[in-house]
Amino acid sequence: MQSFELLLQGFSVALQPTNLMWALLGSILGTAIGVLPGIGPALTIALLLPVTISVAPTSAFIMFAGVLYGAMYGGSTTSILINTPGESGSMMTALEGNKMARTGRGAAALATAAIGSFVAGTIATLLLTFAAPVIAEIAFYFKPADYFALIILAFTSVAVVMGSSRVRGFISLFIGLALGVVGIDKMTGAARLTFGVPGLFDGIELTVVLVSLFAVGEILYVASRYRPGAGDTTALKGQTWMTKEDWKRSWKPWLRGTALGFPMGALPAGGSEIPTMLSYTLERKLSKHSEEFGHGAIEGVAGPEAANNAAAAGMLVPLLTLGLPTSATAAVLLAAFQNYGLQPGPFLFTSNPELIWGLIASLYIGNVMLLVLNLPLVGIWVKLLLIPRPQLYAGILVFAMIGIWGLSGQVIDLIVMVTVGIVGYVMRVYDFPIAPVLIGLILGPMAEVQLRTALAAAQGNPVVLVSTPLSAIMLVIAALFLLAPIVLNRLKANA
Amino acid sequence: MNFKKALLPLAMFAALATGAAQAQVSVMLPANPGGGWDGTGRQAMQAMIDAGIYSGGVNFTNTGGAGGTIGLAEFKNSQSGKADALAIFGAITVGAIDMNKSPISLADFRPVARLTTEYDVIAVKADSPYQTLAEFVAALKADPGGTAVGGGSAGGVDQIALALLAQAGDVPVNDLNYIPQASGAETVTGIINGTLVAGFSGVSEFAQFAEQGRIRILGVTAPERLAGIDAPTFKEAGYDVEVGNWRGVLGSPNMPDDNYAVWVENFKKLNESEQWHKVLETQGWAQNYLGGAEFGQFIADETVRIGAVLKDVGLVD
Amino acid sequence: MSTNPGSGLPETGKGGGARAVSRPWWLGLAVIALGGVCLYGSTSLAQSARYSSIGPGLFVTIAGGGLVILGVMLLVQIARGEQFEPQDAEDAAGDMKANPVALGTALVAVLLPIFTIETLGLPITAMLSFTLVARSFSSRKLLLDLVYGAILGTAAWFLFSGLGLQLGAFLPIAGF
Repeated sequence: MQSFELLLQGFSVALQPTNLMWALLGSILGTAIGVLPGIGPALTIALLLPVTISVAPTSAFIMFAGVLYGAMYGGSTTSILINTPGESGSMMTALEGNKMARTGRGAAALATAAIGSFVAGTIATLLLTFAAPVIAEIAFYFKPADYFALIILAFTSVAVVMGSSRVRGFISLFIGLALGVVGIDKMTGAARLTFGVPGLFDGIELTVVLVSLFAVGEILYVASRYRPGAGDTTALKGQTWMTKEDWKRSWKPWLRGTALGFPMGALPAGGSEIPTMLSYTLERKLSKHSEEFGHGAIEGVAGPEAANNAAAAGMLVPLLTLGLPTSATAAVLLAAFQNYGLQPGPFLFTSNPELIWGLIASLYIGNVMLLVLNLPLVGIWVKLLLIPRPQLYAGILVFAMIGIWGLSGQVIDLIVMVTVGIVGYVMRVYDFPIAPVLIGLILGPMAEVQLRTALAAAQGNPVVLVSTPLSAIMLVIAALFLLAPIVLNRLKANA
Repeated sequence: MNFKKALLPLAMFAALATGAAQAQVSVMLPANPGGGWDGTGRQAMQAMIDAGIYSGGVNFTNTGGAGGTIGLAEFKNSQSGKADALAIFGAITVGAIDMNKSPISLADFRPVARLTTEYDVIAVKADSPYQTLAEFVAALKADPGGTAVGGGSAGGVDQIALALLAQAGDVPVNDLNYIPQASGAETVTGIINGTLVAGFSGVSEFAQFAEQGRIRILGVTAPERLAGIDAPTFKEAGYDVEVGNWRGVLGSPNMPDDNYAVWVENFKKLNESEQWHKVLETQGWAQNYLGGAEFGQFIADETVRIGAVLKDVGLVD
Repeated sequence: MSTNPGSGLPETGKGGGARAVSRPWWLGLAVIALGGVCLYGSTSLAQSARYSSIGPGLFVTIAGGGLVILGVMLLVQIARGEQFEPQDAEDAAGDMKANPVALGTALVAVLLPIFTIETLGLPITAMLSFTLVARSFSSRKLLLDLVYGAILGTAAWFLFSGLGLQLGAFLPIAGF
């Protein structure tokens, strides 16, 4: 139990008043900037990097831990309350969370998100404390074929967000796939569908599409069919807290979300998108209330939120134990380490135990701090919905615009915002589902790169795609998932 | 506990919230996080701040892919004429522009400084049967398709190094199975899990994994052996190949002359500073400074030289 | 990039309200056109590669081909009288006819930043867009909305610029 003693020492570092202040500051900054659509933890921490000149490493990393969790939490708040996910990781949260907010259960949605994040963060930090070296090894275990199978598995989540018509659902998906190929091909350098527009060379920015489809499309749609007073009263109806039933329906999704998010966060090509999509799908399949999905099912918030947070913690595993950055946020943290002349990896645990264990301890503290900060704030956040509709929607547009403009400072992104916003409007009018576009846009390019890498390494032999046990298992699960309902129906019909 | 010290975070927050006016330079890092350019840019700016040469804020943007042409295209798009906008780039970019028929030209940008030259290393998995470079080249010759090699983006220094090695070892260059990876992290994991038989990358990205005993470095592309790396140069191993992966800084197209002069001077000072020397040492980068107009001439020469190499090895027609 | 085919967007106003008679052929045609753009773009790309078999063009071809097929299927559905029920949103009634003036005003609010953000800067752009959106939601407090928008835009500019985001100058046209 050497880890345990070192962890206690870490707590004695992290609990010093100065360091607590840094954790608090980080959480506040993270939450503040996290509510801007499109601005995530990586950018926030990068912006704060200059801080590392004037502050001791332990304090700086404690603050960054706060920023990390704060930004994630800020993102889920806007997803739930104003249907504007700021990052791809909180997209699935918006699907059910916003529906809950609209039926007067915003507080419960925010609470299950906060507690779910806390539970996931705590379990993930525990795993980081006691099992990090083992978990880090999965970064080396995953081959392109495994990634490809995992992405195919995540693709099946399309099936549950299809909406009323298969044709329209698939059109949405293929629009996303088409958007995803735009830009210079990373494997060969060939320009695809850029039509000579340099602004499209680096592809279409995911967060711009995300914010435009959700927020801008919604603003245009509601403006065109606005019925004053229709929704003003529902926002604060109902309880301000989770009911016993809510707890009962949330705790399993929290745990399952954590189990999905943590290991996938530790993968070099993992990230938060795949686990949140898988978690949503899984909860929808497992729930006894699957008919509520699409109308505000609490499991659909609890699971993905836990997965999102656990993935954020998972990313720290390969970073701290191997010095391997697996995400943009991790790379920024690595840069922060290097600014202090520290190289994360197995040697850092022995050379700088105070720093590492102080950081790990502060992850626990950051978690508690966010919970303590946010649960009382839930009531205040929900009151946002009391703002009269004209000014509320106007404010949403302003924030969406600031997020998109601040991300790149390019007018082309504002043009994309309008274009995609109009598409979002048309999709609402003609009842095309929104989520498949994003699933196609996020997973399409990932699948393509892994497929091409796997095939190239195997000289084009497709057997490589099922050559590892993991890839075979995941593809079988994906196939079962898609075919089982059809087979079951047929059996029922025969019976 | 010092009370004043405890209030420092609060004071910082106040300063941030009131938007204390601070100069801000945006630095384009046209590679995915975790790679060599990413480190070069971040460390150089930090050293510059530490040395007191520059005191404003730095806003980094990572836009990876296609040898930096994606990032530089975006840089050109968004920062043309901006006073405080820099981009990191390097030898890889020169080849990538040719390969991708990119509409950007390095002559579009203002040459600020070349900072370092990092040499490439080739590594295999720790339990790989190949103990020496010669054994690897023999395998490459016997079965080029089955010997998948990973590294940075298509047409970059990694691929050029492989092509030159192949040429020197009488392996048909057109048969090579080179698989570009999104980042150094993915090259390392690819080697270790067996997807890639070997991988090329800069010393700084591979050194610690060699130290951890996960990969074995077979050779370095430097003119002389590198400190701390237990591997011969390509020349020693019998392959007359020397490729340097130089890295430098560009200013935005049409950067105002005054700002340009300031940045050229800033990097000159950086090159002489103690702080930068310390970074070079910890990162294992070789100092190789060239500033302003001279650097511009170097870029022009290098464009011709690398273009010719790419043609020789059949990457560009 | 996806709506450039002349799809006759303003027509959508009728789509929601008018029930059985509505046959939005242009929807199917727009999807086919989008697929056509992808297929056209894929013609200049290699479909296969030496070792991976899959060239840079294959996914473009799949996406384009898929869209064309789906567009045709959509046309068939429309011919058979497929119904399109506008989605219900919190403050919007799906069965309501679109209000072209409100939609137009909101569209102007969304388009405005393209033209003003680099000249008038973020705070003023925010103020104008804010007021236009509020107006499209039938707010009649013009002056108050301008004030709200200005305060929001200015506060956000100071806060987020202070945190290091690049939001441009306060009022670029005036040089500060």
